[in-house]
Amino acid sequence: MLKVANLCKSFGSLVVTDDVSLHLEKGERRVVLGPNGAGKTTLFNLLAGEIAPSSGDVFIDGKSITSLPVEARAHIGLSRSYQKNNLFEGLTIGENLSLAAAVAMGLSGSLLRDTHNDPELRKVVTDVAAQVGLKDMLEMQVANVSYGNRRQLEVGLALANGPKVLLMDEPTSGVGPSMISAFHGLLKTLPRELTVLIIEHDMDLAFDVADSITVLNYGKVVFEGTPDETRASSLVSEIYLGDWDDDA
Amino acid sequence: MFHQTKLKTFVLLAILVGLIIYTMNGSYFGRELVVEVAILAILAISVDMVSGYGGMVSLCHGAIFGLGAYAYAAVNVLMGGPPALAVVAAIVAAFTFGFAVGAVTSRTRGIFFIMATLAFGQMIYVMIFDSKSLGGDDGMWGLTRLDLSAIGVNLESGVQFAIFSVLCIGLTYVVAALILRSAFGRTFSGIHENEDRMRALGTPVWKFKALAFGLSGSLAGIAGALAAQHTMFVSPELVIWTFSGEVLIVVILGGLGTLVGPVLGAVVMVFLKHEISNITTYWHMIIGILLIITVMAGGRGIYGGLEQYLARRAAKAAPASGAKTDA
Repeated sequence: MLKVANLCKSFGSLVVTDDVSLHLEKGERRVVLGPNGAGKTTLFNLLAGEIAPSSGDVFIDGKSITSLPVEARAHIGLSRSYQKNNLFEGLTIGENLSLAAAVAMGLSGSLLRDTHNDPELRKVVTDVAAQVGLKDMLEMQVANVSYGNRRQLEVGLALANGPKVLLMDEPTSGVGPSMISAFHGLLKTLPRELTVLIIEHDMDLAFDVADSITVLNYGKVVFEGTPDETRASSLVSEIYLGDWDDDA
Repeated sequence: MFHQTKLKTFVLLAILVGLIIYTMNGSYFGRELVVEVAILAILAISVDMVSGYGGMVSLCHGAIFGLGAYAYAAVNVLMGGPPALAVVAAIVAAFTFGFAVGAVTSRTRGIFFIMATLAFGQMIYVMIFDSKSLGGDDGMWGLTRLDLSAIGVNLESGVQFAIFSVLCIGLTYVVAALILRSAFGRTFSGIHENEDRMRALGTPVWKFKALAFGLSGSLAGIAGALAAQHTMFVSPELVIWTFSGEVLIVVILGGLGTLVGPVLGAVVMVFLKHEISNITTYWHMIIGILLIITVMAGGRGIYGGLEQYLARRAAKAAPASGAKTDA
């Protein structure tokens, strides 16, 4: 479904994405792990088209999307959520979701339909709102809701956008344990055919939801395997916990 | 994001009815003022549509307006076409130019966008001023007005033309409101809120900006066609860029991003100008002070201020009545 071939990106002499190749099957749940500065978000920006790679290719369904702009990739069904909330602050939660859903349903350019009161679209909006736990907050202004609710909406926007491939950049960053477990629940309710790539710091979540795990370090893929293999890998614990031998 | 509230409907209808009553009872000069209000209000609606709801602050709407007036004159006088065709030409020319400006400037933001619109406006001015066939600095005269005798309306009559102009405000408002509440209009507002996210959701931003600017331009073209019929004469004075600035003042005075506020602003501007110029020739100064007060008071404009005042009063009244039922 999503294939990344030898993707490279450097800023001057700094190589932030170094020959990354990935292959996700349809419906696969892949978690990307890696310490700060490993190039995880850069990889997402490359996949979503927000920055252009120095070399390499990105394919969806076997078709190269490397030269497509951001909006065209979204049209194909590549949808992302951001690590830092990137919302429509001045609008209500319902209006936010409507905007995303209208694009996905091909209505956003219509001069005749009022998407706000369109029953078909309202159904998508309420469904997504229920999915991310914002069902009773549709009329609330984004600027007036909590950080946690904004994180939920951040994922909601990506879901309402009708994705085939969903990229989620640290969806649980900065939220409490109860919301993290609610998010576990959400991931399990997603349609099984949806391909999901998640950047995550929370190891428990990663091991719980992932079919497979990719570990990035210094822009390189240093490990790829199942959750069990990852748990057993000394390399991964070394990257995450440091090399303890020196202190011994 | 645009919502047609009851207050908006009420204020709009009050203004339209007020202007019509004023026209029926007013003098020749009063009717001139009403037509002036109508032209300014239509232009202010078209500017608010892109500036208030899309963040595209335009300094070329005066030029688009002038282009509309000239297109009307060109078809009506130079080609001898009927006024109805001239109106269509005004709208099409204004739309086309607006679309082109919107498309070319879609990647620029803020001050660069404003300066780009100014440059486009000045281009139109220079072209018109230097064009011999369009009369150069002499302009064109001998224009005729729309013939609406089929529905029993005679636009040669000052009263009927003034009422027709007021109805054009209503028509323009309805068109702008329908555009803003459509899926297209909401997406356009979304681009204003967060352009990058809107793009990431799959929106070809430039198309929306270009079409919105074109549609807004066509409304400015309606104002141009109205102005051309009013004076039955066009000159490069119609295209001077300071008029764009005056329209922006009207929009901000009335309430940016409220759609009905600009109509209110146009009424206030025209009548205030008329009243103050009876007393002093420094009426610009008074308008300037008023503008500064409006901006310092939060920039909501007259309509925005009214809306806030009523909302606060309702909020105050709500707990009070709640306490009463408790007791």
